[in-house]
Amino acid sequence: MIAGARQGKLSGLRRLTALAMARDLRAFIVPGADIARAHGLDIEAAGMQVVASPRHASVLLVVGVIPPALREAAAVIYAQMMRPRALFVLGPDELDQLPEADIREDLSQQDLIRGVRRLRSAFAEGAFRPDVADFDAPVLHVRIQYTCPMHPEVVQDEPGSCPKCGMNLVAREAPATAGHTHADQPELIVDADTHATPAQDHAAQHGMNHDAPAEYTCPMHPEVVQNEPGSCPECGMNLELRETKGTKSHEDAGISPDSDHSSMDHNHMDHGDMAFMSMVGVTKDLPRSSDGLPMDWIDVPFGPFFPGLPGGLLLTLTLDGDTVAGSSVQTPGGNEELLQHSALDAGSFIERLAKVEPLAPVSYRLLACRATENAAGVEVPAATACARVGALERERIASHLGWLALFGQQTGFDWLQRCAASLQLKVQNAGIRQVLALKPDIAFLIKRLHRTPLLKSRTAGVGRLAPNAALRGPVARAAGIGNDARSTDPSYAALGFTPVCREGCDALARLQVRVEEITHGLALIVAAGAIELPAPINIGEASGAGEAAVETPRGVARLRLTLEKGRVTAAQLETPSTLHLALIDPLIKQLALGDALLAIGSLDLAPWEVRQ
Amino acid sequence: MTTVLVLLLLLAAGTYLVAVLEAWTASGRFRLAGPVVAGIALLGREFIVPRKPDRIFFEVAPVLLLLSALLAAAVVPLTPDLIITDLATGALFINAALVYVLVALLMAGWGPNGAYAMIGGWRFLGQLIAYAMLIVMPITAVVMRAESLLTTRIVASQAGLWNIVYQPLGFMLFFVAAMALAFLPPFDLPTAKAELAGGVEAEYSGVRLAIFRLGRLALIVTLAAAAVVFYLGGWQGPWLPPWAWSAIKILAVCATMLLAGRAMPRVRDADLLHWCWILGIPLALLNIFLVGLLVLVLP
Repeated sequence: MIAGARQGKLSGLRRLTALAMARDLRAFIVPGADIARAHGLDIEAAGMQVVASPRHASVLLVVGVIPPALREAAAVIYAQMMRPRALFVLGPDELDQLPEADIREDLSQQDLIRGVRRLRSAFAEGAFRPDVADFDAPVLHVRIQYTCPMHPEVVQDEPGSCPKCGMNLVAREAPATAGHTHADQPELIVDADTHATPAQDHAAQHGMNHDAPAEYTCPMHPEVVQNEPGSCPECGMNLELRETKGTKSHEDAGISPDSDHSSMDHNHMDHGDMAFMSMVGVTKDLPRSSDGLPMDWIDVPFGPFFPGLPGGLLLTLTLDGDTVAGSSVQTPGGNEELLQHSALDAGSFIERLAKVEPLAPVSYRLLACRATENAAGVEVPAATACARVGALERERIASHLGWLALFGQQTGFDWLQRCAASLQLKVQNAGIRQVLALKPDIAFLIKRLHRTPLLKSRTAGVGRLAPNAALRGPVARAAGIGNDARSTDPSYAALGFTPVCREGCDALARLQVRVEEITHGLALIVAAGAIELPAPINIGEASGAGEAAVETPRGVARLRLTLEKGRVTAAQLETPSTLHLALIDPLIKQLALGDALLAIGSLDLAPWEVRQ
Repeated sequence: MTTVLVLLLLLAAGTYLVAVLEAWTASGRFRLAGPVVAGIALLGREFIVPRKPDRIFFEVAPVLLLLSALLAAAVVPLTPDLIITDLATGALFINAALVYVLVALLMAGWGPNGAYAMIGGWRFLGQLIAYAMLIVMPITAVVMRAESLLTTRIVASQAGLWNIVYQPLGFMLFFVAAMALAFLPPFDLPTAKAELAGGVEAEYSGVRLAIFRLGRLALIVTLAAAAVVFYLGGWQGPWLPPWAWSAIKILAVCATMLLAGRAMPRVRDADLLHWCWILGIPLALLNIFLVGLLVLVLP
């Protein structure tokens, strides 16, 4: 039985289709495939196909904790899916807005596989139900407002006529605060990924006739023509005087000059019964992009669950044709509360910080360990420090492989996506022997990457970032900045570390740096000779202030904390993605959509570690 | 009538095999029953109409895509007799029928009133400007050698030497342009999964999605069949019966088309246009010139 069953009796042919659906499970992953891989999940191996559009999905797979800011978006995704649809939650998370999970399992591959088995029988038996309730969530409700087509500033909740021109007000949906609007019928729900704000009646704005031959006419209904003043029989609006036959009034064509582009969404392309419009008139007040072509600017959400971008990144692009005219980017936040706490003991603080960033748990665990040790004045034995370097480099390799998989997905390079993803899953929790056993596979991947046609022309020159102080990690090293947190780290110095640097400053250089760091990381693991997860050392009742910096796969993260009698009373975290997030807008302006997404992807953002 | 039925059945069979092949190249899993299971499942799933659609465009687009592939297939001979209609303008007709692929994709992009789909549709219009000349100009050279637009004559003209050897440049251009026309990777700009969440496909669901995908697969088979007729000597070959040669060649071309794109990233739309115009069209002209010389020189 599934809550999102399709209406109808399970009989005859439907039984057959239900059986087919049970075998053909298509999952949309929330928050994203990168998070699923970071948790060690191989969705395809578990028997589900991953799809890019919620419309093509039959299973909504929720992985791990979804911050409150993203729950609405998850509900919208669910509402867009074809029925019968199922909600499959991995992990302990409570999801308001969404219905009760059909299948709930723990976060592990075995549990995923068991869940898929349960899902199959749920589909086979419960894909159709005669008494199925509609999915209903607060986010899907729209408020209807009434507004005057001629005076957009007139907005009220009841129907009536315009106090300024007497015209009957027309109904429209109230703009949603979150940027999504939805009808309450799932079939009619606005695709939240495609529509940013509600549509207005386009015909009302543009359906004007410039050549009315008579003296008094209705601005909205040009067929209403009479010799004396009065009100329009169709809409009640006061009729307006026309001077001479054939006079063209320019101010009524097109979009009113005061409307800014943020209000120009896809609504200008709504398919109303438009009367003839002059293209010059329609486009004369539109903002111009660099190529001088006036086009409708539309705000298109690319996230928070967009395939090919890091899961959780709330990116909205203002598109002018397929050129990016502007962008706004947000992150789910959420780690604020992880750091605001009342005096945790050091052990739980470390555990907590390790969860700040699902994409790099080892780095943050190490960061917390080092900071507490620094505050307590504890010296770590050299062998342990060395083994920690092994763990950190293993995470760097896994993370870069994960980035390669995302890059492959984004650029439609299927082989790379599959190969890098499977290697990431094998590397990320492997012991030193297994990691070294994977060396030939990794070398093969890199060798093939070097020989891939089109790769250079696709990435060279895209997303150029001149060397500056805001760059971190591989992005900085791709711009020739070679001193990262590892350069001053004695345990790295002992292993003969030299950073990988490139001068290209573009997406290609970032790709090359990451690929080389994979090989480099393997060499460091060999030199370190061991991999050991950073474990808290007993610090007793120590007090003091301490700080630490760790070069995470995305750049340096710094932590300052204060210890009082073995408890962490204050902590301050600085992460690389916070700085990179601010780079996005200037980086992608006036780029074609494909290049803009590639440029954002090349930064390897981790929305989860960003503090707002 | 029987010819039509037989050919439709063969096309369906070819489409099915291509679907299996595509799933194999995409996911690395060979599942013979995969497409039929996916198809039946889609039949039972809900068909969602997005809000404020252009209903006619939205509904017609998948059917039109399928129809244009079927129309083009009507003039492709599998054996000397197994052809629906041997039009006197056959080679040109293929090109004419395939123009509706563009129309279908633009309609699919405009219809659902969604930004991803719309960008995908317009991207394909740009793609047409890139590939269209590279479909027609190589066909011109093929027709020059056969001295006929009849597809059966074109196959017969390759009796001594297949066109892939006679005019390899033309074959390469046609092959690349055919992949761009079928929006196969690396030319899958209108359906880019991770750039446009499926693009023109993104808003389709249920039965219509099944028809759209079927239409695309049929288009791949038709284009592969056209490549076989124009360049690979059609049904000709030793030992095996003509239909078997046609089938083997078509499937081989399909497999090459599907595999070629898996090992490289998607091209940028600007690069595609640039290469097709700066490089492709001069090469196509050179090909016509060379074939002209060969036709004059060789008996």
